[in-house]
Amino acid sequence: MTKIDDLKKERKSIVDTYSGKRVKDTYIDGVIKNFQDVQYVKIKEIIEETSDTKSFILEPDYDKGTKELASFRAGQYISLKMFIDGAYTTRAYSLSSAPSRINKGYRITIKRVPDGLVSNIMLDQIKVGDGLTISRPMGDFGYNKIRDEKNVIGIAGGSGITPFMALAYAVQDKLEDFNLTVFYSVKTEEDIIFKKEIEHFNKHSKKVKFVITLTREEKDGYLNGHINKEMMEPYIKEFNTVLMCGPKALYKTMNEILGEFNIPRKCVHYENFFLDYEPTEEKTYELKVIMKNDFKIIKCKSNETLLVSMEKAGIKAPSLCRVGICGYCRSVILDGKIKMVGGNMEKALSENDYIHPCITYPESDIVLRLDI
Amino acid sequence: MIYDYIIIGAGMGGLSAGINLILNKKKVLILEKNSLPGGLVSTFKKGRFEFDTSGYDIYNYGNEEHIGKLQKLLKKYEIDVDTKVVPFNSRIKELNTKKEYELKGEFEDLILELEEISPGVIEKLKELVKMTKEVHEAVEILLDGKTPSEEEYPNFYKYLDKYALDVLKEMKFPKEVINILSVWWLDLGSPLNKLSFIDYADFLEKLIFKKNVILNNKNLDFDMKLVNKYQSNGGKIYFNSKVINIINEDIKIVETKDGLKYKGKHIICDLAKYYVFKDLIKEEIKSVNRLENARTIGANGVVIYLGLNRAHEELGLNNYKYYQFLTLDSATNIKYMNSLNHSTWVGYVPNVVNEDASPKNTTILVLKQIYFEDVFKNQGAQDYETVKNDIADRLISQFEEAFGVDIKEYIEEIAISTPFTIERITNSVNGSMYGYMKKGYDSSIHRIISYDEEKVPGVSFVGASGLLGSGIDNAFYSGYYVTNKLLKEKE
Repeated sequence: MTKIDDLKKERKSIVDTYSGKRVKDTYIDGVIKNFQDVQYVKIKEIIEETSDTKSFILEPDYDKGTKELASFRAGQYISLKMFIDGAYTTRAYSLSSAPSRINKGYRITIKRVPDGLVSNIMLDQIKVGDGLTISRPMGDFGYNKIRDEKNVIGIAGGSGITPFMALAYAVQDKLEDFNLTVFYSVKTEEDIIFKKEIEHFNKHSKKVKFVITLTREEKDGYLNGHINKEMMEPYIKEFNTVLMCGPKALYKTMNEILGEFNIPRKCVHYENFFLDYEPTEEKTYELKVIMKNDFKIIKCKSNETLLVSMEKAGIKAPSLCRVGICGYCRSVILDGKIKMVGGNMEKALSENDYIHPCITYPESDIVLRLDI
Repeated sequence: MIYDYIIIGAGMGGLSAGINLILNKKKVLILEKNSLPGGLVSTFKKGRFEFDTSGYDIYNYGNEEHIGKLQKLLKKYEIDVDTKVVPFNSRIKELNTKKEYELKGEFEDLILELEEISPGVIEKLKELVKMTKEVHEAVEILLDGKTPSEEEYPNFYKYLDKYALDVLKEMKFPKEVINILSVWWLDLGSPLNKLSFIDYADFLEKLIFKKNVILNNKNLDFDMKLVNKYQSNGGKIYFNSKVINIINEDIKIVETKDGLKYKGKHIICDLAKYYVFKDLIKEEIKSVNRLENARTIGANGVVIYLGLNRAHEELGLNNYKYYQFLTLDSATNIKYMNSLNHSTWVGYVPNVVNEDASPKNTTILVLKQIYFEDVFKNQGAQDYETVKNDIADRLISQFEEAFGVDIKEYIEEIAISTPFTIERITNSVNGSMYGYMKKGYDSSIHRIISYDEEKVPGVSFVGASGLLGSGIDNAFYSGYYVTNKLLKEKE
């Protein structure tokens, strides 16, 4: 017993020689303390890219407490948080500006979506000086020097061009070292976003090249038709990495072509940009949302995701990517039948009735546990 | 509503505490800041790979012959998990001597291997094995709140205040044998010249008799089982509930970031006391501050998760664990581990022991390097991506070179976790992966015998930063130990 008592005394006598002042942050503690999930920004400039597309330059909103923008990797996106007519919603936009020139702001580029809730407001109502709330840069899409080859083929459909602009600047500014050829498929010359910048890269850069193909018109200086094997052949090397950003239909045709080039699965990476699912029927169901200290019974429609239904009802459901990847919206189905479209979820979560509301459509009345 | 207990953090300690309290019919609320449970013991998916986030081995689960603490508790809680026993299967490279060892099979095989290296050592090893049993039993008695008798446990008392290295030297083990017996110091996070012999012997006992196991399913599956057990017995758990303030009065008020407030009679933190008294409780308690200033936060580290697009046999990865040490002499090696580019690390290939670890014809390789002190301080935040990728690049190259395998061209997925990642997810101080460092006057024994005296009224602590330190078994047991004491006090 005495030996144990001695040990106890020893500890106490040593501890007593230390300061009674509150313990301090380590360097890492300090960094984490200052880590902000949201950033407050102001519109610095609006650029008309095409008849239905505008770019927005975002700068930190000092008055709201954002002193500087968080750094990002080329290919990442931010999630724009909006409050429109009583509904909280978000939209994910890839950053198209140069990661090495954060001091000049973030650039996001928004194309009008017919009946789109956010894009129409952004294009028609938002003006220079307006404030916005955005997330930190998110997502894994982009170049990884350990994983990827030096010859990178980019495949961009429509507004899927945005992350490739950031990648092109990362190469130009020597943040990354690889050769980048981007195949950019658009309907007509009119629809080309970043036309001047692309021309500039094509004229001056040894490492970056954009190949534009028009699918709905023939014009000098452009390729014509959908991206095909012949177009790509001259740019395929022995080892390649393929990065794709566009609608799912594009991924499907591209995968066939890449198969013909024998490009292994591990060398092909996608940005999940669009949710391509259009349920035909429109039925209305009841959705009961159980939150921590509250519950709400709302309507949901078979052709709308559960996330959208909750947002329309004014529920502040969390979301970032809106394509079932980031996991930020995950919730638990307590009752009802659903259809989840795609996504990437851990087995243990699926087995425990977790869903991603951002890609889930109801097929009956639903009871959902939303952890807010 | 006033809860009997509010638990902050749904890690191993918090969940274990929650289950024990709810099975004892208490009103309990767990607040977890993330959207999923598990804390450091979690799983994330990238592409077609599911990566577990903490070391694969589980100590002290045990087998039919020697049931470990963790298994006993899980049985008590009626939670079934599928496990597999993991034999020794490591390759070890020591750079300064260019020596290589392969430890394979059962502990008996390891003893024969050591006998070959140093003929005659077998008798001493047998003596050591016997001692680990004695020490382990004595520690169990101590944890039961009793005092082991000096007659029955002479070696426990003899070595109570001795360091592991000194005892091994005193027992006249040759240096090379001590070195090989030091390999596991990376699991404990303390070099043998700072680690109490009791902690070391207790650890060896688990290794020899309880044998390590791995979970057949992913960590998240285990987490979900714990949460389900807790919830199905009436326990309440709120996710996305980051606690930002604790008001430590008679009835405690816990405030979360989303603006909600909860009331409870007692708070259990699955967090380091260091963090709680730095950031959550405004009240100043001098004795707590003294203790926290006196302790050392454990090592942090970088973990590289690789999803490879070939079967492990095809890649030539036939061992479960791969170690590279600058020197196997832990007291010397640790001196080199306060910089970001040292050359000691460990690699795991879970597929070797569990073919379901990743999809068919793929392999998971996890590389881990640990650091002592505030090594990230001199790296500007701007360089973070570069620093992180450089470390990964270097570790993968070192791994390829050390064991003569090609990895880089097979990487399909890569994820890198740093101390920043760990602290952001778990609020572990300095991104520590070991809680507090077990050393000197902060060994498990010191913590156990001082537990009652060092208690903070109204607030208790469980988890890897608790009583017995890191490891699923220790963190889980701490939740049980602390709540059991609380339940007894209330009686």
